[in-house]
Amino acid sequence: MAEKLYIEALREGLREEMLRDENVFIIGEDVGLYGGAFGVTKGLFQEFGENRIIDTPISEAAIAGAAVGAALCGMRPVAEIMFFDFFTIAMDQLVNQGAKNRYMFGGKAKVPMVIRGPMGCGTGAAAQHSQSFPAVFAHFPGLKVVMPSTPYDVKGLIKSAIRDNNPVVFVEHKLLYWTKGEVPEGDYTVPIGKADVKRDGKDITIVAGSIMVRRALEAAQKLEEDGIDVEVVDIRSLKPLDLRTVVSSVKKTGRVLIVEDDPISYGWGAEIAAGIAGSEAFDYLDAPIKRLAGLDIPIPYNPNLEKHAVPQVPNIIEAVREVLR
Amino acid sequence: MATIVKMPKLGTTMTEGTIVKWLKNEGDPVKKGEIYVEIQTDKVNIEDEAETSGVLRKIIAKEGETVKVGDPIAIIAEADEELPDLENVDNISTQSQEKSPQVFQQEDKTEAVKQTISDKIKASPAAKRVARENQIDLSKVTPSGPNGRIVERDVLSYIQEHKVKATPVAKKIAIERQVDLKAIQKSPGQRITKQDLEDQIIQDVDNAVDNTIPVIGMRKIIADSMTYSKKVAPHIYLSLEVDMSKVIDLRERLIPLVQAQHDVKLSYNHILIKAAATALRLNPLINSSFTEEKIILKQHINIGLAVALEDGLIVPVIKDADKKGLAFIAKETEELIQKAKSKKLLPDEYHGGTFTITNLGMFDIESFCAIINQPEAAILAVGKIIKKPVVIDDEITIKPMMNLTLSCDHRVIDGAVGAKFLQNLKQILEEPINMLL
Repeated sequence: MAEKLYIEALREGLREEMLRDENVFIIGEDVGLYGGAFGVTKGLFQEFGENRIIDTPISEAAIAGAAVGAALCGMRPVAEIMFFDFFTIAMDQLVNQGAKNRYMFGGKAKVPMVIRGPMGCGTGAAAQHSQSFPAVFAHFPGLKVVMPSTPYDVKGLIKSAIRDNNPVVFVEHKLLYWTKGEVPEGDYTVPIGKADVKRDGKDITIVAGSIMVRRALEAAQKLEEDGIDVEVVDIRSLKPLDLRTVVSSVKKTGRVLIVEDDPISYGWGAEIAAGIAGSEAFDYLDAPIKRLAGLDIPIPYNPNLEKHAVPQVPNIIEAVREVLR
Repeated sequence: MATIVKMPKLGTTMTEGTIVKWLKNEGDPVKKGEIYVEIQTDKVNIEDEAETSGVLRKIIAKEGETVKVGDPIAIIAEADEELPDLENVDNISTQSQEKSPQVFQQEDKTEAVKQTISDKIKASPAAKRVARENQIDLSKVTPSGPNGRIVERDVLSYIQEHKVKATPVAKKIAIERQVDLKAIQKSPGQRITKQDLEDQIIQDVDNAVDNTIPVIGMRKIIADSMTYSKKVAPHIYLSLEVDMSKVIDLRERLIPLVQAQHDVKLSYNHILIKAAATALRLNPLINSSFTEEKIILKQHINIGLAVALEDGLIVPVIKDADKKGLAFIAKETEELIQKAKSKKLLPDEYHGGTFTITNLGMFDIESFCAIINQPEAAILAVGKIIKKPVVIDDEITIKPMMNLTLSCDHRVIDGAVGAKFLQNLKQILEEPINMLL
């Protein structure tokens, strides 16, 4: 199986879906000739032309609104938000229109759209280009939220997202684009709403998403040297949430650390923690559920401070040790 | 007298306590030993008992207030008593914890403290689950988790430490016979074997009754001698019924005379002793002793009478009963019975018997077979006198009948010999005038 970059796998998924279904098109800022700010859509403009790779003015509201409208009319748009920080501008279109129409029309209308883009810090892009807030979307009924962590998952999930008849918020992470992983040739899908055990272990479960899955795996590898056997559950979808996989893992290990990229207050880790505490896994908990997440601060521009704003591998290792104490 | 209640020392490390809750208000009566205040130490909440009775007149330490050990928290006094000046507490009695803190702590508080602690044991849900599944008392488990929390490994290692090691066969038997393997003591590292288990089963059966009585003294003597008798003497049992009409009549007439003479009430037993002694004189083999070499025909006729005691029985002996008159037998017998019941019999008074009478008529027993009192050769078991229809001259009449069962040592007494004695005895009792012969 070929090793590919996350960004390549994502592009491959988009391209294969566009080839498979002529209703699929891409819309966003600089997605065309420029190939996207991060290069996700590189080469697609040349292959599919300006009618299917549509450049827009700098208006996230327009991008989202156009996508919702096109989806309602039977297209399958994939809208790119260059930096998810500016998703806030697209929120009304997505939340009040995209998320609601299927319900308000009693299921007669459907909104098969994907709205994707990068979140997260670590690139020195400062407070307005570094945020993570995937939990915000998960709070709105009518939206699905996924955040793949590997090249394999990003290709499989983009296909599932495009084929889904509901608006799917597709959360990427800037630092994941240039990570490598095995990706099969051709068509396959990864189901939305299904978590994935990325590493088997017996001492502690780390539930992580997106970039934090990679950091958790790195931490697990280091902890293994000390004989600590970490299981890593990649939550993959925030909504629908696959609590079952988490619960069965916690039942096995008895300890859980939840690692998030976004600010800790009201983050999705709290949702998982509450889910565990209320589940049959409760009686298997041998230590309090621990959360490790970003600080409740705007992401600093200073690169040293920026690193401290969200969990890094040493923080995860330390947190694991604390839970195992 | 007013008592100033001070903050008790409820643990060795306790230096101060916080009043969590007053369970009584000012003016409420308080009884000694009654729980009236909840105090929080650095470790636990403890419900404290009043050391004295009276009225909770004044609450000095309010709820939520933290007070040093020994500082006053309340005053208990009589309802109308004048309250002491707190500045001048030396003259007033104080609750006793200061006087004997160790005793107070250990004797009075241990249970309460334990109870409160066990309610507040910190354990992870997993530890609690494992403890529950294995019926482990978490208060016995040593915590190793953060903040003194019991975690799963603590329970598991407790289970491991207290794990019962047993051979597969022993385990199988334990399940089949529902034996608790934990009850079997074994030195550490040693496995419980099938033999241990079988011993335990026997022990369990033995311990099935709640109370045990040690087999010592009289009980041991009875056990040994009865077993011995049944072992060495092949018993034969002969029964007949005696018409007691004339004995009853005789007794009625003699009672006032004996009473006048010796101040005892003549009983059937007295008459039976006399009658048996008379019959024994006619049947010397019955009044004998068997040894491996010879049969000893006893010169004296010494009749033993079995007397039931609370914790056994004893057989005082009326010596030369054949030579004594009824009145004297009555007197002597009653004296011996009294002595027997107050356990004042001298050895001489219960040794040397040659024949025994045992009577359970007073318990409504109609007939029974007794075990011979070795080294005697026979014993007479006497039943209750019961009015029965009997046929005399082809007529049914009602007669007071009494069953006699003679147990004979067949080594000495053949059936016919025993039967003849019993027949003679019957004749004597049915015609008591024969006793005069």
